[in-house]
Amino acid sequence: MYDLSNVVDVDAMSSVAPGSSLLVTGAAMTGKDALLTDLLADGVASSNGAVAVTTGGRAEDLVADIEDRTGGLDSAAICGIDCRADSNREELELDGGAYVHRVASPSDMTGIGIGITNCFERLHDAGLDSGRLGLTNLSTMVTYTDRQTVFKFCHVLSSRLDSAGFLGVFTIDSSAHDKQTLQVLKQAFDGLVELRENDGTREARVRGLQPEPSPWVEL
Amino acid sequence: MSDAQPPVVLIVEDEPDVADTYRLWLADDYDVRVAENGDEGLEELNSDVDVVLLDRMMPGLSGDEVLAHIRDEELDCRVAMVTAVEPDFDILEMGFDAYLSKPIKSDQLEDTVTNLLERSEYDSLLQEYYSLVEKQATLEATKSRAELAESEEYEKLTSRIGDLRGELSETLGGIEDDEDFIATIRGLSNQDEN
Repeated sequence: MYDLSNVVDVDAMSSVAPGSSLLVTGAAMTGKDALLTDLLADGVASSNGAVAVTTGGRAEDLVADIEDRTGGLDSAAICGIDCRADSNREELELDGGAYVHRVASPSDMTGIGIGITNCFERLHDAGLDSGRLGLTNLSTMVTYTDRQTVFKFCHVLSSRLDSAGFLGVFTIDSSAHDKQTLQVLKQAFDGLVELRENDGTREARVRGLQPEPSPWVEL
Repeated sequence: MSDAQPPVVLIVEDEPDVADTYRLWLADDYDVRVAENGDEGLEELNSDVDVVLLDRMMPGLSGDEVLAHIRDEELDCRVAMVTAVEPDFDILEMGFDAYLSKPIKSDQLEDTVTNLLERSEYDSLLQEYYSLVEKQATLEATKSRAELAESEEYEKLTSRIGDLRGELSETLGGIEDDEDFIATIRGLSNQDEN
């Protein structure tokens, strides 16, 4: 079981089954990426591997953010997959031992899949058989492809995470899509983490993991 | 896979003895067709074919060229590449769905064909699942909660989605390893380009 209650302090997050995938939704500027980074860093601190997939920002930046939060504890446990549109396909090892795999575009599903496979292999070789994969963000992928492709990609990836016993965390900008697109994409996930900002405080609520939604809690 | 017709397997192989061995192994369960080279393979390819066993090294049109043709034409079949050399990991991207290194054993060949057919089933289940989820989302976006509660269509849809979710989980066994994972993802992108 994955205990995520250090990051989101609700009962539903205290034991999340291996193989579960969570969708983090919220409008722009509600701190979706910060939450994803916290969840990955919290994993590294509990001896989980981390796979960070970025479609907009640099994977190195996300890797560095995770390292900052863990104090450089175990950089070999951190892998990044950079799928911004302007990158060339390559693999590189960063100072400190983290690994980054680049994919040509957020629409290159096969390339992203191969990157994920390489990261899993690396973590496995490092003796890490549990881990967390975070992907930011699905909105970019929808822009580069369409919601059907993204839905299926998420479903197949969730299946792979399930057989690996990993945890998946995906973010989506709820203000960038119509209600129907969000409703469709939500179906590919086991649980939802909704974020909002309320009078300057960030709050989260978890749905889907338990019969009733959790209360809103401050982050 | 409820068709009464057995699935069609096309063997493209220039060594007659080898082709015949494969044919004998598969003949009980499948409608097996044999092509002796790449050109003949292309002639035999049509929408009936479910799985192609493609020899990579052949005189004339090579296995790689036949594969490129299958993908360009977006033919809805699964391809197992058969070769004498162990592939590099990167060639996963070439577009085949399975890779078999010679010499092949009979159970290995049977398992591969079974897995490829299961994966096709997974893809079509996923396609159906997606289209129902999309319908459900449309209803939820346009109808009130009270209207949904009264709608028989919505109830049926919701229950079918639940069943399909279960069926999809059951066919998951087919994509447990990395090669299957990549091939499934690529299969989805191929479909979506149609």
